[in-house]
Amino acid sequence: MVRESWMEIYPYYQNYIQNMLPLFEQSIKFVQDLAPQDLNDNTKILEYLATEEKRSVGKVKAISEFSALYRRDIFTRIWDCVEDLRSTTDLEEIRDIIIDDFEESIDFLNFLSALTTPDQSQYESTNLYLIVQYIQEQIFPRRSSVTEIYSHLIEKSVQYYDIQRHLLMPSTSYRENDENPETPALSAILYKIINEITSLLNLDPNYLQSPKDDTIEIPVIVKDEIFLPFIDSIANNESSNLNQILKRMELELIHDIFIGPTMKFISAGELHNYFRRESISNTRERIIPQLSNESLVLMYLANLSHKRGFISKELINWISSIVALLLYNAALETFLLEENIFYSIFTDLKTEEKILPYMMKLICFDKYLGIDRTKIRDSVQYRKEIFSSIGSQIPSMKKLIEDISKYIITLIEK
Amino acid sequence: MAIAIWAELLEKFQNGLTRSIEFLNERDMENIPGAKERLVEKFTQIRNYLPRNDGELLIKMINDSIQSRLFPNTTDHIVAFNQILNARTPEQDSIISELIDGFISSQGKTLFGGTDRKILDNLVEAFRKRRDFKIVDHQFYAMFGDPNKPKKFVQDRLDKIAEFLGLQIELLHVEQDVRDGKPKDYRFYSFPEEITIILEGKYVQILENGEKIITNDFDKMVFISYFLATQSVNRKKLDNYTINGICAIFSLILLLSFMPKLNVEETNPINRDEHYNPQTMSIIPKSWLSKSILAELMTPLVQIIAYRVGGINWLDKIILTEKNINIHLQAQFLLKDVNKWILGNMCRVEIPIFVEISNIFSEIILGAEGGTE
Repeated sequence: MVRESWMEIYPYYQNYIQNMLPLFEQSIKFVQDLAPQDLNDNTKILEYLATEEKRSVGKVKAISEFSALYRRDIFTRIWDCVEDLRSTTDLEEIRDIIIDDFEESIDFLNFLSALTTPDQSQYESTNLYLIVQYIQEQIFPRRSSVTEIYSHLIEKSVQYYDIQRHLLMPSTSYRENDENPETPALSAILYKIINEITSLLNLDPNYLQSPKDDTIEIPVIVKDEIFLPFIDSIANNESSNLNQILKRMELELIHDIFIGPTMKFISAGELHNYFRRESISNTRERIIPQLSNESLVLMYLANLSHKRGFISKELINWISSIVALLLYNAALETFLLEENIFYSIFTDLKTEEKILPYMMKLICFDKYLGIDRTKIRDSVQYRKEIFSSIGSQIPSMKKLIEDISKYIITLIEK
Repeated sequence: MAIAIWAELLEKFQNGLTRSIEFLNERDMENIPGAKERLVEKFTQIRNYLPRNDGELLIKMINDSIQSRLFPNTTDHIVAFNQILNARTPEQDSIISELIDGFISSQGKTLFGGTDRKILDNLVEAFRKRRDFKIVDHQFYAMFGDPNKPKKFVQDRLDKIAEFLGLQIELLHVEQDVRDGKPKDYRFYSFPEEITIILEGKYVQILENGEKIITNDFDKMVFISYFLATQSVNRKKLDNYTINGICAIFSLILLLSFMPKLNVEETNPINRDEHYNPQTMSIIPKSWLSKSILAELMTPLVQIIAYRVGGINWLDKIILTEKNINIHLQAQFLLKDVNKWILGNMCRVEIPIFVEISNIFSEIILGAEGGTE
């Protein structure tokens, strides 16, 4: 796969924004020049569209088709708005509403256009860098150790646990190979296994002398018990790759029979009350588990974040699409009111698929998410996946979008 | 005959409770002092009051709460849908959605050829993109179809979803399509007109020019409510899988409502954990989640629900093979999404239906105790 440079991706990212901006600017000029009574019927609009579409702009066919399509889209919305409001609002006011909506849209496009610079070396002052850092801090932090990442994730989980978990669970249909050294996403079965381990450790643990420290007894559960509720061998794959899976949550197989926490998990978990010590003799302590729903899931995410150079293709596409969507939607929320007549143009697949894939690649660079951008898919199907994931928005994502939007406002004010 | 069956089912549940109590007396998995005793006390209360007035306790819980909010006992589709929609609250939505969504996804897995996609989200998105409150097969294919599979695959899938959810299908033949000039057949999927009327306003906005656009309130819960309404009205025609799934979900709701709330000491770390909200959650004994107790209580309760909701017809379809019991037990996966483990404590999120069922319990037991006095 070709490793594209920043300078190769950046123009692609700018391409459609730079094609849309003049369309909005020309159209606002047309509406500003229009007398309010011209909105009584759509003659002027149709004349304008006919002239624009006939004019030879000396552009390549794809671009003129793109412009014609968007221009029609813009004016369809203008005319819909006039028809909706004509009976209750006077024409001058309607024109002002349309102009306001245009101004919001142009501000949004200008923001997207100035999000980053062609010169990658100046990244620190760009909004793209700052916003991606902000998003990472909430759901996918970078720190020097897994323990630090884990603590940070737990701190942020009060507000964002659902989306932290969402980041691990693509809604797309897939089956990843657990033998692969790259960390895969949490499949529905794996998530059930995590739930089962959490419950069994909390409900009824056995205690075993730690293989690493003979002064403590660690909680363990019997390996086979976690697979009992699975019927028809549906968890066979997970069962045969259990060791690999457990490592990703700082758990380990002991004597090939028991599952127990590693010393690293115990020390990281103790900081958050997920384990407590109980003295059972003068020389021996027992580690009592008291896990929460997020204890293992966030350990999986912390490990993933720490080893972000080695994550599966499915997850790379999912994580970068979620971060790009968060950024795009937050910017949209910052600049456009939901009632804006052009709002749906920006949430339409045909707009998103021209901007988001390149934004995803840009945010994969080292200074940003630092994940392997060569694994970002370029197929039509993959663009549909992005679209599908928009439909799967979860409530906590809305909360994060609001928070990012507030952050964008502080950036603009600065 | 019916009386004998009902009495037998009650007895089975009583026996399950007795064995659970024995199990609890033998083993203590609780970390909160008094938790085990509270659970034993609650199970004993239920066991003792269960047969009174022909099982009034369970009948009232199932009829007045579960059926009235989630599975109305009516033959009128509109009444059922309206009743379920009106019972919605945000907290209840998230829990019912977890429960039913898990069920629909697994049903969907068999229906839609192994795809793990979020079917209901896709449907919402497809409605959102149009201004006539309909889904069209071609557009759905463009949005979510797999280009490596023929369009027919999406049509079949949509037909099955429509049948499963109770949507209507309209066919439109066009002699000359505007795009390629060729004859084309379109399939439109929509809610029946009388259902659209119920949704008007809060969920669907009708513009002056006749266009119908969905509002932000239109979400997958509308489908879930509609699915439940359709299933409740057609309860006599449901297949084994659906019946077992629905009964397992309702049994879980009942079981969860039975659990006593526990008080913890002020010094307990859970009180300092920000994930715990004492206003909306309560700590419940965790040992009821153990396989030994769930296995004892779930199966008889699934049978009780089946009998009360679908009569002998449903009860016959609850097959008690070991595999089937395992399927019921699989519902325990759902429990961890519905409840939360917080620092080793099992916490129930209080939603109206749990509160209501608990209230029925207190009302009947207090009434009975008052009567005895």
